[in-house]
Amino acid sequence: MTEKMMGGAGASRTSYQRYPRVRIREMKDDYLKFELRDTDASMANALRRVMLAEVPTIAIDLVEIEANSSVLNDEFIAHRLGLIPLTSDDAMSMRFSRDCDACDGDGQCEFCSVEFFLSVRCDSDQTLDVTSADLQSTNPRVCPVDVAANALSSAADGYDSAEQKGIIIVKLRRGQELRLRAIARKGIGKDHAKWSPAATVTFMYEPQIHINEDLMETLTLEEKRSWVESSPTKVFGIDPNTQQVVVVDAEAYTYDDEVIKKAEAMGKPGLIEIYPKEDSFIFTVESTGAIKASQLVINAIDILKQKLDAVRLQDEESDMKELTSHLGNL
Amino acid sequence: MNAPDRYERFVVPEGTKKVSYERDTKIVNAASFTVEREDHTIGNILRMQLHRDPNVLFAGYKLPHPLQYKIIVRIQTTSQSSPTQAYSQAIDDLDKELDSLKKGFEDEKTRFEEKLRQGY
Repeated sequence: MTEKMMGGAGASRTSYQRYPRVRIREMKDDYLKFELRDTDASMANALRRVMLAEVPTIAIDLVEIEANSSVLNDEFIAHRLGLIPLTSDDAMSMRFSRDCDACDGDGQCEFCSVEFFLSVRCDSDQTLDVTSADLQSTNPRVCPVDVAANALSSAADGYDSAEQKGIIIVKLRRGQELRLRAIARKGIGKDHAKWSPAATVTFMYEPQIHINEDLMETLTLEEKRSWVESSPTKVFGIDPNTQQVVVVDAEAYTYDDEVIKKAEAMGKPGLIEIYPKEDSFIFTVESTGAIKASQLVINAIDILKQKLDAVRLQDEESDMKELTSHLGNL
Repeated sequence: MNAPDRYERFVVPEGTKKVSYERDTKIVNAASFTVEREDHTIGNILRMQLHRDPNVLFAGYKLPHPLQYKIIVRIQTTSQSSPTQAYSQAIDDLDKELDSLKKGFEDEKTRFEEKLRQGY
C-alpha cells in the first residue's frame, strides 16, 4: 500500500508543458512585433507585465545639488533627471543597492551605482539649454540614450543631424548656474516608472474570420459595399474583379462587433463569424531605448524564470509535510 | 504621509518565508499556498498551468488586498496527486516552457537578423 501511494506522490510525474512558437515580423532597436503561439493568455500577460514593471534598468536615483540658481527648484530638477533613460545593457548583471554588500549601505559603490556630474553656467545673453548631453558619466557604458544614439550615428554617418540637442533638463539665463552630482542605480518599474524599460507593450488575440460565402453572394454589390463600410477599421474590401468580399487585414479588426451588428441589421445573421484564437497572440513591444526591444523580451523571460524559481517550495518543508501527511494516512 | 515604502511591494521582509503552505483541515488533498511579494504575474500563470493538470480538481488564486503584497493559491487534487506535488509540477512545467520559449525566441531572432542581412 505504501508502494502505491509513494508512486502516486512521486513517480507518476507527467509533464503538462507547452512549447510556444515565436515568429518575428518586424524588429528595430526600439521596436519589435512578433507572434506568440501555442501558449495561453496568462503567459502572454505575464510576459507583458514583467516587461513593463520588472525588467531592471538604470536611472538616476539620488541627486546632490551643489548650486542651483535656475528657475526650477531642486526637486523638480532631480525628478527630471530621474526620468532620463540611460543605456542599461549592464543592468541585468548589476546589483541592486539594497542587496549590495560591497558598499556600506549607502549604495554608492561601483557594483551598484554610476556617478554623474553636471556643471553648467550661462554667461551669454542667449538662453542656454541644459540637456542630457551635459551629464558627465563616470561609466562610459551608462549614459543618456539619446547621447549614445547620436554618438553612434555621427560616427557612422560622419555628419551631425539637426536632432542632436539632447533631452532638455532646464533652461538658464545669463548668470544662472546648475551644478550637481547624481547617482544612478538599478531599479524596476514596479518601484518607480522611471525604471521601466518599456514605452508600450501590447498584445492582441489573432482574429479568425469566417465569411459565409453563400450568404454573402445573396447580397448586391451595393449591400456589400455598405457592409464593408460599416467596419470602423479597414478589415474587409471588395475584389474589383470578382466583386467578392475579401479580408484585407484581419488584424485591423478591433473586436468591435460592428460588422456583425450590421449583418444582423441587414437581415443576414451568420454572414460573418469572428472569434479570437485563444492560443495565438500578436505582441508589439516599444522600448524607451534603455535596452533593445528584443533584449527586453529575453530579459523578461529570464526575470519570469527567476520569479518562478523563487516561489518553489523549499525542499525540507515540502518533504516534511509530505512525510507527515503519509504518516497520517497510514 | 503614511504610505508604505515602495520597496515593500517586492522585498520579502527578513524572517518571512517566500512560500508557506497550509493543508486544509476539512478537505483532503487541499491546501493554500501563501506566496509573499507576488501578484497576478505569478498567480495567474500558476493557476492556468495547474488547470492543465487533470489531477487538479480546483486551483485558484487571490490577491487579498492591494496593500497586502501577497497572493494565496488554493489547490485541491485527486488522491492520485497532492497539492504540493501539483504546485511543484506546475512550476517545473512553466520553467521548462520558458526555457523553450527563450530558445525559440533567440533562434527566431538570429534567423530574422540573418534574413535582414541577406535582404540588403
